[in-house]
Amino acid sequence: MNAKLRHAVLAAVLLGTTPAMAATLKYGGTTPPLTMDPHATNDFVTAALVRQSYDSLVGLANDMALEPGIATEWTSQDPTTWRFKIRQGVTFHDGSALKAEDVAFSIMRQKEAPLYKALYGGIKEAKVVDATTVDVISAAPDPILPRKMVRLFIMSQAWAAKNGVEKVPDLGAQGTEAYTLRHANGTGPMKLVLQEPGQKTVFEKNAAYWAPFKGNVDSATYTPIGSAPTRVSALLSKELDLIADLPLQDIERVKGTQGYTVVQAPQQLFMELEMDGTRDVALDVFDKAGQPLKANPLKDVRVRQAFAHAIDAKLIVDRVMRGNAKVVGTATAAGFGGYQADLDVRWPTDIEKSKQLLKEAGYPDGFGIQLNCPLERYINTDEICRAVASMLARVGVDVRVKGSPWPEFARMLVNGPNSSFHLIGAAGNSGDTQDTFIAVMATRGKEPGWGSTNWAMWTNPEFDAVAKELTQTFDPAKRTELYRKGLSIGRDKVHAVYLHQPVLSWGMKSNVIMPPRADSAVMLKDVVVNP
Amino acid sequence: MIAFLLNRILHAALVMFVISVLAFVLGDVIGDPVASILGLEAAPADRAALRLRLHLDEPVLVRYGYYVGRFLHGDLGSSYGFQRPIVDLLAERIPATMELALAALALSLAVGVPLGVLAAAHRRSRIMGALMSFSVIGVSLPSFLVGILLIVVFSLWLGWLPSFGRGETVKIGFWTTGYLTASGLKSLVMPALSLAIGQIALVARLSRAEMLGVLQTDYIKFARARGLSDRAVNFSHALRNTLIPIITVSGIQLGYLVAFAIVVEQVFQWPGMGLLFLQALAQTDLPLISAFLLVAGLFFVTINLIVDLLYAAADPRLRIKTLAGRG
Repeated sequence: MNAKLRHAVLAAVLLGTTPAMAATLKYGGTTPPLTMDPHATNDFVTAALVRQSYDSLVGLANDMALEPGIATEWTSQDPTTWRFKIRQGVTFHDGSALKAEDVAFSIMRQKEAPLYKALYGGIKEAKVVDATTVDVISAAPDPILPRKMVRLFIMSQAWAAKNGVEKVPDLGAQGTEAYTLRHANGTGPMKLVLQEPGQKTVFEKNAAYWAPFKGNVDSATYTPIGSAPTRVSALLSKELDLIADLPLQDIERVKGTQGYTVVQAPQQLFMELEMDGTRDVALDVFDKAGQPLKANPLKDVRVRQAFAHAIDAKLIVDRVMRGNAKVVGTATAAGFGGYQADLDVRWPTDIEKSKQLLKEAGYPDGFGIQLNCPLERYINTDEICRAVASMLARVGVDVRVKGSPWPEFARMLVNGPNSSFHLIGAAGNSGDTQDTFIAVMATRGKEPGWGSTNWAMWTNPEFDAVAKELTQTFDPAKRTELYRKGLSIGRDKVHAVYLHQPVLSWGMKSNVIMPPRADSAVMLKDVVVNP
Repeated sequence: MIAFLLNRILHAALVMFVISVLAFVLGDVIGDPVASILGLEAAPADRAALRLRLHLDEPVLVRYGYYVGRFLHGDLGSSYGFQRPIVDLLAERIPATMELALAALALSLAVGVPLGVLAAAHRRSRIMGALMSFSVIGVSLPSFLVGILLIVVFSLWLGWLPSFGRGETVKIGFWTTGYLTASGLKSLVMPALSLAIGQIALVARLSRAEMLGVLQTDYIKFARARGLSDRAVNFSHALRNTLIPIITVSGIQLGYLVAFAIVVEQVFQWPGMGLLFLQALAQTDLPLISAFLLVAGLFFVTINLIVDLLYAAADPRLRIKTLAGRG
C-alpha cells in the first residue's frame, strides 16, 4: 500500500509538470542485447531491454521492491506450493488475451534454460488451477520464490508454438537463428518494433497496456556504444538523450555541463576479497624470503581479522571509486531482501590491532601472497587491487597482484576453484540475501547447489545451520532473526573482507526525468521527456 | 608459369593451414567457453552437459578435424554469443568494413598523391618541407586518438558529424551500403579519416620518393625542354610512371586497412567485422573468433597471391628465378 501511495503521489507530481505531448527517447549503453528471447540469457543488459516488452510474473518497482505484475497477488499454500492470482483483461502485443496457460508455459519454458538452473531449477511444476490461478510447486520449500519471479517473463504460448520456439533456443546449436532473437510478443508496456542484433533496438508504446503510463515516451531507440569516450560524446553532442553506464571519470564532466544531469543507483552487487577457508596449504602463499609457504595462514580467523582491520574500504571508496560507492560491512547491501541496516557497520581500520592479530597467529613479520584480480567486469578493479596491496604492506603482508582478463579469471574459478585470495563481486542471484548465503557463503557441495559461487571455499558449520533453516522458514519475523544471525557470523568470522557496493551512473539531458534503477533498466514507461 | 602459379598457391595454402592451427589453439588459450556462456552460477552438471555438446573434452586432433571439416564445407558454425549462424553475421558485417576501408584508401590516394607530387616538384619550398615533416606525425598518431580528437571537434564542438554508427543504409542484394544516403556519408567521414590519416602520410612519402626518381630521368628533361608547363610535366608525364608502385602498395595496404579497422570501428561503434571480433573476444565466443581469424587470413592471403601473380606477369625475372630454383 505504501509503495502504491508513493507511486500515486509521484504520478500526480509528474502529471502536474508533464505536457501530454508524446516524446521520443534515444538512449544508449555499453553492450547490445544478446537476444530478445526473455528466457535464454542472464545478461543484465538483455534483461533490461526485454523488460520493456515482457511483463514479469511478479513486478519489480523502480526501488527494487516487489509489486503486482502479471500476478496480482501470491500466497504460500504449503511449504512447497505458491499460488499466483493472474491479472485479468491483459492482452499480448498480437492482440490475443493472456491466459493462465501462458503463465504456466512461460514458467516451464524458463525453468529448462541452462542459464537459469540455479534460480529456477528447484521448480517442479507450474499447474493451472483455474482460469485465474496458477500454482508453482517446488521440490523443496522456497520462501523467496516470489522474489525470484521478478525475472520470470511471460510469453504467449500460441505465438511460441506458431514460430517454433516453444523451447528456449539452444546455445551454439547448428542451423538457423531462432525466431525470438529478433521478435517479441509479450504483454509489456512497449512493443518491439525492430531489433538489429548488435546495432539498435526500437520500441513503440503499447497503447493497450494494462497500467497507466507515468511517462510520455511513445517511441524509443537503444544503441550500444562500446567505447566510453564516444558514448559520452554522443550524449554531450545531443545525439542521445540518455546513457546508462556513465564512466566514473566522466561523471563530474557531465554534471558540470549545462543542460545535463547525472542520476545514480546502487548496484545489486558488492565487492569483496575472498580468502581460502579450506585448503591446508594455500595456493601462492610465500614466506618473507619468497619461498612457498607450506601452510594456509588464511584459515586462521586472526589472520582474516587482521586483513579486515588493515584494509581501509572507506579510503578505496573515496579515492579509487571517487565516492561513487558505499562501504559495506556485512554480506549484503542496501536493496537486497534481508538487508539489515543496523548491522551494516564495517570493521574499523586499525593497523596496530591488525599487526597484533598477525603476531598472535604466528606471523609477526607477515607473509607473501598472490591476489588474483579480474581486470574487467567490475569498476576499477585494477586500482582496487593495487590499493589493497599497499594497505596490506603496512602490516607486513606482501601482496603480488595478478590481473587476468575476465574469461581467464572465470576459467580459474569455474574449473577449480584455483585461487586462495581474490577480488570478486558477490550478489544474490535473485536479489535476496538468502541467495548470497546459499551460493556464496554456505559450504561448497554440502547440499545440492550450496556454495556454487563460494570460490574461496569458506566453511562454518554454525553458519550452514542458519542458512539451512532460512531456506525452510516462511515466518517473516523468524527470517529476519536468521538473516541477522547469518550476517553476524559472516562478519565475526570474516567470511570475506567486504569492500563496497558500487553505484550505477546514468547521464542524461536535464529535460529527461527518470528514476534510476539498481538493475540498470531504463523503464521507458516511466520516462518523462520535457520539451 | 604454371609451376610458379602452383608454387604460390601452395604457399598460400600453407599459410592458411598455419592460421587455422593458430586460430584453433588460440581458442583453447584465451578462456573457457563454458564459463563464458553459462556464467559463474551454473551447476557442474550443466557445465558438463554443455562441454559434451560442444565436444570440448574430445582429443585435440579430433576437434581440429571437426573444425577444418566444417570450414571446408563453408559452414562456420554458430556463434555462442550472438546465437546466429556465423555466415550470416559475417555477410552482415563485411560490407561495413569494406566500405570503410575502401573510403579510407580512396581518401589516402586522393590526398597523399597530390601532396607527394607537389613535395617532389617543389622540394626546396619551406611549406612543402613543413608538410612532409608534419606527415610524420600522421604516421605516428594512433588511430583511436585521431578518432577521439575528431569526435571532440566535429561532434562535440561543431555538431556537424555523428559520433557513432553508420547512419542510414540501403540494401542492394546482400550488400548494405552507406554510400547512397546523406547520413551514411556523413557517418563515414570521421571513421574513414582516422583510418586514412596514417596512410595519407605513407602515400605522400612514397609518391614523393618515386617522383623524385622520375624527375631525374631524361624524358622529363626533354619534356621541360619542349616548353611544357610545370603542371603538365608533373601531373601528366611524371605522375603516370610514379603511380605503378603506389597502386601496388595500396593493394597490399587495403589488407592492413581492414585489419586496423578494428580500432577505428571500436571508437566509432562502426558495425563491421572488427567490432564483431572484439565482442566475440569479450564473450570467449570461440567459433566466431576462429572464423574471423580464418576469414581475415583468407583475405590477406588472397590479396598477396594476386599481387604476387601480377608481379610475375609484369616482371619475367621472377618467373625465371622460381623455375631455376625448382629445376
